[in-house]
Amino acid sequence: MNQKKSTLGKIVFYFIIISISVIIVIPFLWMILLSFKTNNEIINSPLSIPELLNPENYKKALNTLDLLQMYGNTLFLVVIAVFFSTAFTFMSSFAIAKMSFKNNAIPNGIYLFLLLGLAVPVYILLFPIYRINLKSGILGSYLGLILPYIAVNISFNTLLFVGFLKDFPSELIEAPIMDGINLIQLCTRVVIPVMKPTFVTVILFNAIYIFNEFPFASTFLNDTNKYTLSLMASMFKGQYSMDYGAIIAASIMIIIPELVFYAFFQKYIISGMTEGAIKG
Amino acid sequence: MNWFSTKKAKAVFLTPALLIYGIFLIFPIVVAAYYSFTDFSGIGKENLVGLENYTRMFGDRLFLISLKNTALVLLCSFFMILIFSFFVAYLLNKSFVGNSVSKAMIFSPYVIAPIIVGIIWGFILNPQFGLLNTILRSIGFDNLAWEWIGGKSLTPVAIAIVFTWQVLGFHATIFLAGMKTISSDIYEAASIDGANRRQTIFLITIPLLKETIIMNVVLIITGVFKIYELVYQLTGGGPNHLSEVLISYMYYTVFTSSRYGYGMAIAVFVLILSIVFSFSYIQISNKRNKRGAVS
Repeated sequence: MNQKKSTLGKIVFYFIIISISVIIVIPFLWMILLSFKTNNEIINSPLSIPELLNPENYKKALNTLDLLQMYGNTLFLVVIAVFFSTAFTFMSSFAIAKMSFKNNAIPNGIYLFLLLGLAVPVYILLFPIYRINLKSGILGSYLGLILPYIAVNISFNTLLFVGFLKDFPSELIEAPIMDGINLIQLCTRVVIPVMKPTFVTVILFNAIYIFNEFPFASTFLNDTNKYTLSLMASMFKGQYSMDYGAIIAASIMIIIPELVFYAFFQKYIISGMTEGAIKG
Repeated sequence: MNWFSTKKAKAVFLTPALLIYGIFLIFPIVVAAYYSFTDFSGIGKENLVGLENYTRMFGDRLFLISLKNTALVLLCSFFMILIFSFFVAYLLNKSFVGNSVSKAMIFSPYVIAPIIVGIIWGFILNPQFGLLNTILRSIGFDNLAWEWIGGKSLTPVAIAIVFTWQVLGFHATIFLAGMKTISSDIYEAASIDGANRRQTIFLITIPLLKETIIMNVVLIITGVFKIYELVYQLTGGGPNHLSEVLISYMYYTVFTSSRYGYGMAIAVFVLILSIVFSFSYIQISNKRNKRGAVS
């Protein structure tokens, strides 16, 4: 009797969890199905099963868009901005957590100051940064995009780096055995290797944010050759005047590599993207 | 005083981050606040107009619509996200075959670019040929095939549904982390005392997760203030600005109608709301950190 009940319970449980998982991914599956249909079929018979694997929409999308270049642009921005946001915040966090100041209020004050950004919705920065970029002559350049990308990631990175470094045993870096190496060597050979998991978290979080970022890119870039994937995707209907089939195919070509990357690193990505909130 | 704490080292290590953060995050807030007190329109010199932009906001029909829509998105997302993510976390907290696959699937929308999320959902919510209405019509519920987007009233609800889909896995993971901290002894004791499942959830799990719940609530609220791409992609704020939210309306006043001073007043308004909510968040997490503090 009891056994029967628990088997039934198991079936119900699996039914619920599988249903939820499937409902969540239905939008992706729906897009894949639509991507093999003609524009006419998408509008007039959405539920019909398409002629299998008709690549017409993908061809159209690839003819209209320079996807490879947009991928290149986006990854370039990600690599440069993530490198500097990680490196600069590691340095400032090391100073805050491990260097000695005459007055402890100085590092604590800097720490809190650098955390303020966590409460700022980036959208309110759009127009002011637009003005700053305009006045300094970097509007429309990648520099004018990379610098704000670094700035908005500093708060999150500071939270994680300082959190880790505060618990890092000071004896390890102040020990006499360290005599004869300089500060840079101390960081790269002793401290950073121990912090690998924190670096992975920070890098993945920053990279996904910049890869997907839209408002800054759309406000500060105007040269089509410099467009990012998100910015290009926002203009499928307008500037590129693509039909539904091509829009769907292009969207799939943008998200599939992202989802494959996610599938490989999902454990790190999930913990990375929630760690900031949990550690907050 | 440790050997590497020289004045020069401190300056070199602190300057790059402080400089970039100061110029591209703190200074822009000062600039926004300054323009919010002016009538700057892009041409000529701006004049200081005091609080005029702020008082104008509350007589502006479109601002009030966008405020109402933001509140509506918040209200709908609030309940959907909180209930669903708790439920999902409750299921994921059990060990079963395929646990990590389910978790990965449920979290996956969170890593997709919001602008693509908007495109995808356009093909689901489109009143004429979207998946949702097509299914409703094919099973005979024609009268439920509403104008989810682009109509006069439902867009904020649709935005909340899409937003819930997008962040469900994120909030469920936070709940899950909280649930993992509850010792299994407590559950065992409860089951020995004859507590049923409902009693266990409402009398043990939820009370012990109080702080995690508050944290999720604050993250939902600040998350709603960051919704922009979904509106941009699904309706563009239309028709006639009826589906505008605070951020999209601010974007419109600044970059489309060039009322920079007014737009910056809206921006400052959003910033203040966000700071108030984030401050309460920091208060709560400070309390929690002190309780479980090791360092």
